[in-house]
Amino acid sequence: MIKKSLIEKVLLKAASTGADFAEIYAENSMNSKIQLLDSKIKKSINGYDYGAGIRVIFGTKAIFAYTNDLSEKSLLNVAETVSKADEGEEVISGVNLKKEEVDNIHKVEVIPSGVEKAEKVEFLHKINKSARENSNLIAQVNITYSEIEKNILIANTEGLFKEDSRNYVRISSNAIAAKGGEMQTGVYRPGSHQGYEFIRSLDPDEIGNKISEQAVTMLNANYAPSGKFPVVIGNAFGGVIFHEACGHALETTSVAKGSSVFANKLGKQIASKCVTAIDDGTIPNQWGSTNIDDEGNPTQKTVLIKDGILKSYMIDKLGGIKMGLESTGSGRRQSYQFAPTSRMRNTYIAAGNDKIDDMIASIDRGIYAKKMGGGSVQPGTGDFNFAVQEGYLIENGKITKPVRGASLIGNGADIIQKISMVADDLKLAEGMCGSMSGSIPAGVGQPHIKVDEIVVGGRKEQ
Amino acid sequence: MFDKEFQKLFDLANKKNIDKFDFILSSNKSLSIKVFRQEIENFTSSDQIGLGVRVINGKKVGYAYTEKFDEESFAGMLEEALENSRIIEDEEEIKLQDFEDIEKKIKIYYPELEEIPIKDKKNLAMQLESIPLSYDKRVIAVPYAIYGDSIRFIKIANSEGLNKEYKTNGAYSFAYCLARGENMNKSGNYMDNSHKFSEINSKKIGETAAQRALDLLGAKNIESGKYPVIFHHDEAATMLQTFASIFSAKKVQEGQSLLRGKLEQEIANNKVNIIDDALYEKGFGTRPFDGEGYPSQRTELIKHGVLNSYIHNTITAKKAATKSTGNASRSYKGSVGVSSSNMFFLKGNKKKQDLYKMAPKSIEIVSLAGMHSGCNPISGDFSLSAEGFVCDKDGRKYPIQNFTISGNFLSMLQKVTAIADDLELNSNNFGSPSLLVEELDISG
Repeated sequence: MIKKSLIEKVLLKAASTGADFAEIYAENSMNSKIQLLDSKIKKSINGYDYGAGIRVIFGTKAIFAYTNDLSEKSLLNVAETVSKADEGEEVISGVNLKKEEVDNIHKVEVIPSGVEKAEKVEFLHKINKSARENSNLIAQVNITYSEIEKNILIANTEGLFKEDSRNYVRISSNAIAAKGGEMQTGVYRPGSHQGYEFIRSLDPDEIGNKISEQAVTMLNANYAPSGKFPVVIGNAFGGVIFHEACGHALETTSVAKGSSVFANKLGKQIASKCVTAIDDGTIPNQWGSTNIDDEGNPTQKTVLIKDGILKSYMIDKLGGIKMGLESTGSGRRQSYQFAPTSRMRNTYIAAGNDKIDDMIASIDRGIYAKKMGGGSVQPGTGDFNFAVQEGYLIENGKITKPVRGASLIGNGADIIQKISMVADDLKLAEGMCGSMSGSIPAGVGQPHIKVDEIVVGGRKEQ
Repeated sequence: MFDKEFQKLFDLANKKNIDKFDFILSSNKSLSIKVFRQEIENFTSSDQIGLGVRVINGKKVGYAYTEKFDEESFAGMLEEALENSRIIEDEEEIKLQDFEDIEKKIKIYYPELEEIPIKDKKNLAMQLESIPLSYDKRVIAVPYAIYGDSIRFIKIANSEGLNKEYKTNGAYSFAYCLARGENMNKSGNYMDNSHKFSEINSKKIGETAAQRALDLLGAKNIESGKYPVIFHHDEAATMLQTFASIFSAKKVQEGQSLLRGKLEQEIANNKVNIIDDALYEKGFGTRPFDGEGYPSQRTELIKHGVLNSYIHNTITAKKAATKSTGNASRSYKGSVGVSSSNMFFLKGNKKKQDLYKMAPKSIEIVSLAGMHSGCNPISGDFSLSAEGFVCDKDGRKYPIQNFTISGNFLSMLQKVTAIADDLELNSNNFGSPSLLVEELDISG
């Protein structure tokens, strides 16, 4: 993408006013999206993302600038911009890059851009057909196929020089069921860090039926009750609770500032004993996995919490400098337009020994949050709120009626102490996580878990 | 600007026998400075450019974009767009044309802002942190003290002779504070948008953010039930922003809006007026033309409670046999869609104080969380965790926390019984005065 000699020149220039570290991240990516709506292919768009970001670190200060123009003149110009943000004596007097090959653990069999668009179109039509045939209450089906081929280059003044290629494919589907002016949605978004063979491994009828059934079930549901209840949270995407409520607070971005509830808690019991949580970037072809992080470090499997005790944070370069800790390979960013920061990869609660049936049987009156929707957390306080996409009442130890419009509200630090049962059915799911360094693919996951008490925001039955 | 590049693009399109097309170029130069503990924690400068094409191949439309500016990428982009048009199954008549310019003069570019030295901007960001900290010793940290500015340039040209461009700039200043009380931390924030650097009032920004956090200290829980609710203007604007897509004609035509089939019906209390105004002087969504080059205008969406119009681009307008409202959205990476410019509730004639008088025992909402998970813009349902105050006829009595507020956006509009005169637009160009809603479900 850029000649080695030019990179060395640019890094040296960027660091010329006393920076301790300078880094360049360049990217040349291809994106493609095809959307089906109203049972027709409505939109098809392709694009090239292209540019470079230069970061310098002075002590704990991060200066960052980016451009689309990768010519020598432009890159030197950007290097000058970052160098001028601070001024001091030159610390780095030479840069000697050593190119290192990256070992690819995420095998790609079928390059997505090489697959005929007609095959992708046919796949979308099959999902649409199944969803609509499943129920005549389905008013709309919206499905998008997306593929990304991302080629990146990372080099820094410590001599690191690596290139990597990442392929992502995803189906994002939702169905809307409508009756008497009311609408409810069903959602499923499978994705993978691999080639088109992942899409070929999916059953389009199963996807169509899934989104259709979820929408119709919710359409026929009453509003959820409000109040405090024991809640069983479903596996796979249910892990969004941990991602939002605890994961973000374990990133050095918030820990280093002391604004996280988990600051200064390493080695301490922060969760119920049945909770072990892991952030793992090494699972082959998993959505949130990488070979190297976006600072060029090999990705890792990081145990965050073991039997309730806090073992590690998720650490990037800058967070590591601030806290005096080694990077865990957690520096991630959306694109060349963002400076990297500590982010999650595939974050999940490890499997336990309990059975889902025993969990349900242990509850007299509660909620089964089978499928979670999206969520968010307030930094600093750890207060979270997330929607239940598909929920049910639990009455006298049995799952009874579906309920809609529920959200789970609480505080991260509080809720992980209230997890009383962890099942043996761990599954992972795919999401997009938005934070300071942009929107990135992140895996979430967990087995079924029982939380003894959560505030359920719903509406009393009218 | 960029006339040379556009000439090349037109030549390439001709060479490929593409006869109907349009291009959008957007360039963005921005700066943001974030201060923490009186040091620059983050400094980001960008110089970004992108180019998108729409090719109209008979009745089929294909898109592509590039951020790489050379002849090979331009040619590749046109080829991809043409290929994309071939798989489209949705046939639509798209008539490209040249549009007239707006008559009204709008000022959206302020050259003074470009002359401010970086040093002054750094100092401002420092003040955004130091002012809240010295305001009250219970303010323990300012995790976000940020100054930023940007200049945006847009150029649109099509095969029928349209060739328009504009430049706009602005600055924002933001403070987010944490205050510590007994057994709890509370946060408060304030964001200011300005065209002129000299008009940025760091004292007001910092002190407002701090006071908002302090006011919530000592918050109690509240019993579940139905209460009259006052939405602070910021939170009312957030609600409108979350549900704004219901006004999109595109969503309506796709069957994804709860306002489908409701034109000319009374959908809100007759005091409610909502408009979209791309020419609004105080707005930062103000611009001379939209993503298709169509001239900007002011559109009444809800007038005295009656749904008067959706927001349209020329494609949705044609389907609905009406005129575009100048609400075409288009980024170089995306397709032509529909989006708001400055969308807001018109202000009413009540003072904020009157709202308290009208509804003794009301709850005022000053913070909402979980908008993207707790709101369903398709059904209109919302269930949000909130913070606020228990109020009586004289105003706020004490702060409350750990509760959710739930309902449906349309039923809420019907229950708006009073509107204050304190209209403000937020940084996403949505606005509202404070609203009194007769009754909503609160669960503690």
